Amino acid sequence: MIKKSLCNEEDFNEFYKSNIQFITNFSHYKSGDKDTALDLIQEVFLKMWEKCSEISYDKAKSYLFTSVNNLFLNNLKHEKVVLNYAKNSPYIDINNQSPEYLLEEEEFKHKLKKAIEDLTEAEREVFLMNRIDGKKYREIAELLNISQKAVEKRMSSALKKLRSKIDLL
Amino acid sequence: MKDEKYILKWLNGEISEEELSLLKQDSNFKNLEKIAHYSSQIETPTIDVNKAFKEFELKKATTTKKGKVVSFNYKRFYQYAATIVVLLVSSYFLFFNGATNYNTQFAETKTFNLPDDSEVILNANSTISFNKKKWEDSRYLQLKGEAYFKVKKGKTFTVHTSIGKVTVLGTQFNVKERANYFEVKTFEGLVSVQYKDALVKLAKGKMFKVINGKIDTLNTFNLTNKSWLQKESNFKSVPLQLVLNELQNQYDYTVKTKDINLEQLYTGGFTHSDINVALQAITIPLQLSYKIEGKIITIYKYDK
Repeated sequence: MIKKSLCNEEDFNEFYKSNIQFITNFSHYKSGDKDTALDLIQEVFLKMWEKCSEISYDKAKSYLFTSVNNLFLNNLKHEKVVLNYAKNSPYIDINNQSPEYLLEEEEFKHKLKKAIEDLTEAEREVFLMNRIDGKKYREIAELLNISQKAVEKRMSSALKKLRSKIDLL
Repeated sequence: MKDEKYILKWLNGEISEEELSLLKQDSNFKNLEKIAHYSSQIETPTIDVNKAFKEFELKKATTTKKGKVVSFNYKRFYQYAATIVVLLVSSYFLFFNGATNYNTQFAETKTFNLPDDSEVILNANSTISFNKKKWEDSRYLQLKGEAYFKVKKGKTFTVHTSIGKVTVLGTQFNVKERANYFEVKTFEGLVSVQYKDALVKLAKGKMFKVINGKIDTLNTFNLTNKSWLQKESNFKSVPLQLVLNELQNQYDYTVKTKDINLEQLYTGGFTHSDINVALQAITIPLQLSYKIEGKIITIYKYDK
């Protein structure tokens, strides 16, 4: 019946290790900046360690995301987000190796990337948390302290923008 | 855009086969699929978890030199402190106040000595409690049930029951307190019995009885007959109900009755060693019959 607590070093370390990648991704979706992001995130974890007794373990994840979110609200200048594709990522039709197909797909990817970069921060973070981290709307809503409906709205508007931009170009 | 709901479901991995096939009919679905596919391939910074954690540990060590002050939870500390105090205090009262208890189960008797070497024989289903520490100042004990006392001479010796109080100096007597029944027999010396406002001096060979609130003081009994100490119970003009209650105390059986007058008076006794002999001793004089089924005894009118 031992409840997990952030003040317990083992529990805290487990919390750190299981969330560090995800929270870094999150900050990347927001700013596209890799280097300063990790430092900031370390600061947030440190603060959580110091305040461990005030944060219940169940709410810790939500607290982490809210803190990073607030940091971006307060401190960071928003530069133009630059995204990249992971290397060696497969095309949709892995059997089709014709040059025409490959060219077509590359062009599509380029358009998509630009369109995602142009999304608002709110749309982009929700959309990519769903696409890349495979999070359900409910989880995203919990982490960002918003309603599931709001998450769905952001997804919708993100999709709408992406589709219209791809069709246009 | 009526498909929007389905699209959202699809991206959330919650779409059903049926809805998906509907969605696939849409001419735009190919593009949508591509968006979903390629957007998930966007690169994220790869974190070396262990390396990041080491850096974090280092940061923690340098910035929190003052120690983990926050993690000391005062509220919790007071909770523990209060709990310990409560435990200590209550255990002191529980274990060091000298309270002593003796009790017997059904069909069990117990013989023991009080701190002043007075002798007590405790009958079945009875409890005696007294304070060992205060025994020298006041010989006072609580009795529930029936007990025989052989009291050493000394200060006043008091037996307290829920029905009445018995006070002596040094004698031998028997106190019996069962539901609606209170009985004191003096075997030696003089015993004073206090029942409500009445104070009765009971001489050797006399017996004091209260049945359902009615006092009966004119009884004598056979001095040589210490009944239950010799493994039997004796009664003189006692309602049948009380006799049966005592039977249940001595034997681990449940007694049920059928169409019989429980108020009729019974004089006689029953043994503690054989349930059949005991039941016969009760039923035959009153012209009743009985049967035993498992742990249940049924007593009914004897039919010819």
